[in-house]
Amino acid sequence: MSDVLVSVKNLSIHFGGLKAVDNVSFDIHKGEILGLLGPNGAGKTTCFNMISGVYKPSSGQVFLDGVCTNGLPPHKMAAMGVGRTFQVVKPFAGLSVEENVIVALGMPHYGKFASSWRFWNAKPSRDAAMELLKMVGLEKEAQSRAGLLPLGNLRKLEIARAMALKPRLLLLDECFSGLRHEEIQVIEDLIYKIRDTGVSILFIEHNMKVAMSLAEHIVVLDHGRMLAVGIPAEIQKNPAVIEAYLGKGGDSDAA
Amino acid sequence: MSLLVEQLLNGLAAGAMYALITLGLALIYGVMKILHVAHASVYTAGAYMGLCLYTHTGSMLIAAAGSMVFCAILGVLIEKYIYFPLLKFPPYVPLISSIALMIAIEELCRLVAGPEVRTFPANLPFPSFSICGVTVSPTLTAVYVVSAVVLLLLWLLMTKTELGLAMRAVSQDMETASALGVDTQKTVAITFIIGSAIAAIAGILVGIYYNQVYPMMGEVPAYKTLALIVVGGMGSAPGAVLASLLLGLAETFLIGYANIPMPRDALAFIAMIIILMWLPTGLMGKRQK
Amino acid sequence: MFDSYVINVATQIIIQAIAAYGLNIIVGNAGQISLGHAAFVAIGAYSNAMLTTVAGLTFWQALPISLVIVGIVGLLCGLPSLRVHADFLAITTIGINFIVVAVFQYTPFFGGSMGLGGIPSVHMFGHPLRAQGFFLLCVVIMAIVMAICWLFTRSWSGLSCFAIREEETAASSMGVSPVRAKLTAFVLGTMIAGLSGALYAHYMKFISADAFSFPFSVTLLSIIVAGGLGTFWGPLLGAVILGVMPEVFRPLVDYRMFLYAAILLLMIRFMPGGILGGSTMLSIKNLAKRGKTAKGGC
Repeated sequence: MSDVLVSVKNLSIHFGGLKAVDNVSFDIHKGEILGLLGPNGAGKTTCFNMISGVYKPSSGQVFLDGVCTNGLPPHKMAAMGVGRTFQVVKPFAGLSVEENVIVALGMPHYGKFASSWRFWNAKPSRDAAMELLKMVGLEKEAQSRAGLLPLGNLRKLEIARAMALKPRLLLLDECFSGLRHEEIQVIEDLIYKIRDTGVSILFIEHNMKVAMSLAEHIVVLDHGRMLAVGIPAEIQKNPAVIEAYLGKGGDSDAA
Repeated sequence: MSLLVEQLLNGLAAGAMYALITLGLALIYGVMKILHVAHASVYTAGAYMGLCLYTHTGSMLIAAAGSMVFCAILGVLIEKYIYFPLLKFPPYVPLISSIALMIAIEELCRLVAGPEVRTFPANLPFPSFSICGVTVSPTLTAVYVVSAVVLLLLWLLMTKTELGLAMRAVSQDMETASALGVDTQKTVAITFIIGSAIAAIAGILVGIYYNQVYPMMGEVPAYKTLALIVVGGMGSAPGAVLASLLLGLAETFLIGYANIPMPRDALAFIAMIIILMWLPTGLMGKRQK
Repeated sequence: MFDSYVINVATQIIIQAIAAYGLNIIVGNAGQISLGHAAFVAIGAYSNAMLTTVAGLTFWQALPISLVIVGIVGLLCGLPSLRVHADFLAITTIGINFIVVAVFQYTPFFGGSMGLGGIPSVHMFGHPLRAQGFFLLCVVIMAIVMAICWLFTRSWSGLSCFAIREEETAASSMGVSPVRAKLTAFVLGTMIAGLSGALYAHYMKFISADAFSFPFSVTLLSIIVAGGLGTFWGPLLGAVILGVMPEVFRPLVDYRMFLYAAILLLMIRFMPGGILGGSTMLSIKNLAKRGKTAKGGC
């Protein structure tokens, strides 16, 4: 069978008169790490939102393992194996770190009337949550209130939550933003570990250094359109890409 | 025919008076995103203060000015000591405090002035005239003229002055406005001053027009005006005015003409729900994306 | 044994507490706004009243039917909450309260402004319950309601409501259907309110629509906020405090309402988290929320 997990074909969306994404196409292979780059406002998060079900495309299609997922709402996309993190972290602030992960672990139960009345505080759930927290290095914070965590830990929590869905595809939206150098290293290693378990990863990132080191392939967007596709080495030398970043006075590396 | 004209004139007057009360509410919601239900009790307090001053001085000018100052101070105190500290909590917290405050102020009016319905006989220096065989009393003329003047002044303020620009900026996005150098604290305080002063005028007008001032007079507009700001488009002052005029006309016609026995409050809300289904952001609301 | 005045006050407190538990699920657990909860108490009250007077059913036969009716209406009223945002929703729920009360007040079928009387006593084991017996029945029912609430907060369904309350966008990306969670909370919460209404009808033996008007909704909301929103004991605690206060001030007759309002105002102003310091009061999104226009999407 094909080793393409996600196929985005001629994806477009417009809001009112503004075409935020215009005819974007790319494939994500199984176990691949693909970077989605571009200056501010290029439409990257909008693409994420179309893949994860937050927006419905105006035209074009998103295929997940051959199945068209256009218009499916986010909770159904989660059930289909798409997990995501958010550019601005969205923890369940009033719940504990452990509870945050357990929410995602409950995904198989929410749709069904009978099982939705089962208790969530049972040992299997808590054990599974601790496993995930250990994976991201948050096991000591398990009982802390999520709203009180510093940013670095919140980004780890977002990843743990998304992984609790046992996803086939993980969408990471600027998960390195605001982090210190040591923290960036830790998350990078975490991502490799996740990829090694067979999960495909699509990430958005502004930090060029991290993006180039992490990605196997890169898609560059500008003003909603595709600008370039290729391996990091090619993209770095691509004149159109360089112009898109520098020409806007935009930062080519930053956080 | 003359009945129709009479209903029309009454309806417009009712609408104008609703508009004066709702305006303050809309402006305040616009800058602070708080449902200032207690505004209706500021209106009541304004009516009482106006009555008291007029009875003691015989001058409508002093009564109006004094009442406006009184309500303006009341409004600012409310904003500073009740709403501002509660901004960081979920919206039902300031809402409950507003309702509790309304009851407290109404009860104070009752305790100080007595529960009986007082009259507000006043000689307003306005002419009386005749349209289509219907006599327009001085009071009615006063309602039209005063409302028109207030609306005009407010329009000039909002569109031509820096303060008005600041108010509009804060109501769009407080954080950005602040980043651009607008003193949001001061702008909000001034909005309360203006809104409360207009409520005082409304209180006096209503008191004279219906010749009734009583502690619970705020209950009539209190919740209706909430529906009106929704219909108008949350925070849109012109929308609130339009919605108020429409409601004034609708109430007068439906109850005067068609004799439909629905309580007036319910009518406002039913109209609100119908309009919301058709225009989810209200008559003149901003479409949020 | 107990003074009948005390039993009276206590019964009313328990009945209000039951309604408050229902509201706590909607507002405290699921974070949805509901300022018209009294409407559902009214529907439960009128439903049971009509079924036991006009249709001649007993309290126990009428109750399940009333609960289903309230649940259905609750479901229908919950639907607007899906499409409409925060402040709009607040006013819409107030509107529902006004409209429901107006319907009961102006429809002759429901007794109109004269109200509905002659509601029979509740019978258990063949005997009509008197004041003390009825009070105990209310306490037992409240205990059952509290157990249901407790079970709900421990269930996946309840957890999904917490997630929606905290961060709806993130919750939906974790597999929680916001529609399902909100409607579940609404139906459960309003059915409990209807239960309270049915008890109220059989307690008062006479009901009229203005007992269920907007001020009652405000009282219920004040109860759960004062007690501690989203907590387990909050609704009961709040009902006791706000139920005892007016009685304590009763001798002060004229100043009663003023003192009640003033104390409520001070409580909310200085203890917005309620006595038990309810959940999520200072969650991140609330800190950032004020003054911003609603920014959709993520």
